[in-house]
Amino acid sequence: MGFFPQWAIMKLHRKSVLRFFRGYRIQAPDREGILLKKGARNTSYQRRWFILRGNLLFYLEHQADHTPLGLILLENCQVEPRLGATEPYAFTIRTPGEEGGRAYKLAAENREELRAWLWALAGATWTRLAVLLRPLEAQYRELCQATGQEPGSPPEDCGSPTTQRTLFSFQELHEHFGKEIRMLQAVHRQFQEASDNGGSRSPAGGGEAGTQLC
Amino acid sequence: MRYNEKELQALSRQPAEMAAELGMRGPKKGSVVKRRLVKLVVNFLFYFRTDEAEPIGALLLEHCRVIHEEPSGFSISFLEDPERKYHFECCSEEQCQEWMAALRRASYEFMRRSLIFYRNEIQKMTGKDPLEQFGISEEARFQLSCLKA
Repeated sequence: MGFFPQWAIMKLHRKSVLRFFRGYRIQAPDREGILLKKGARNTSYQRRWFILRGNLLFYLEHQADHTPLGLILLENCQVEPRLGATEPYAFTIRTPGEEGGRAYKLAAENREELRAWLWALAGATWTRLAVLLRPLEAQYRELCQATGQEPGSPPEDCGSPTTQRTLFSFQELHEHFGKEIRMLQAVHRQFQEASDNGGSRSPAGGGEAGTQLC
Repeated sequence: MRYNEKELQALSRQPAEMAAELGMRGPKKGSVVKRRLVKLVVNFLFYFRTDEAEPIGALLLEHCRVIHEEPSGFSISFLEDPERKYHFECCSEEQCQEWMAALRRASYEFMRRSLIFYRNEIQKMTGKDPLEQFGISEEARFQLSCLKA
């Protein structure tokens, strides 16, 4: 008793994850698109279709595939652009774990995609959502108390296609991403200033020759 | 579908919303109740053999249904497969209710729906968008259209 063999595999109930993943067919994912991903064994980049849903990042071989190739858990991750990589618009997702965790080396196809992904990934964690939710919930309850209103509840998750609106209109998407891009251009200017000031780009510890390749 | 076990293990070591030793029974017919250390971390439910440091399993708590089961227990099933239930036995009704509430709140999708709901209600009551102060009013994932049919 009390012996847990090193080679034993922890069982992640795939069905629960796959259902969440497939939910995107009913509901639009938070973000999706092509990203280049550096392989684990061979160091060339491969084109993959990535889907961000909640705090999980899935990647597929092809957009239409029913089952993802893999999954990256985004809690407690560091997402940072990777300047000086062989691919332009490169970034790394560093996940926690023993022995320094793992670095997924990815690259977007253009500047706008890079910024949009960095933004989306930075905001994707459950922890961040909890931090946003707490004050809103408190404010709502205070307002209800002040106005004598009975507090309501968010709608239940029915999971059925007829109760979920699927996609946004093109106009809405155009407006949202347009504003997002302008916001991110401001962020990018900060990156530019930082690298123009000649600062060293290698993060503490890892760096380009990282041992943990995806 | 590949995933990095170390990422999940690292997550299972994070501070837990809830952690307790519970009786647990899997969905397979004829499975027996076993004592497990059950730990809720973000939207994952991990379970460990009581004397081991690494979890033996993890469930993603999205699109799931948490139901009270007599006496002082609950089950978790997933929306498309309601008959396959993971059963948990608590030591008291109070503990059971605490767990059920925590599990329902743990879903990312539930939190998102809640955020959108509160945002909309606050905006109706005050005329102001509470997300404005965070500079994220335009984030697509927090739009009211996510909630409506």
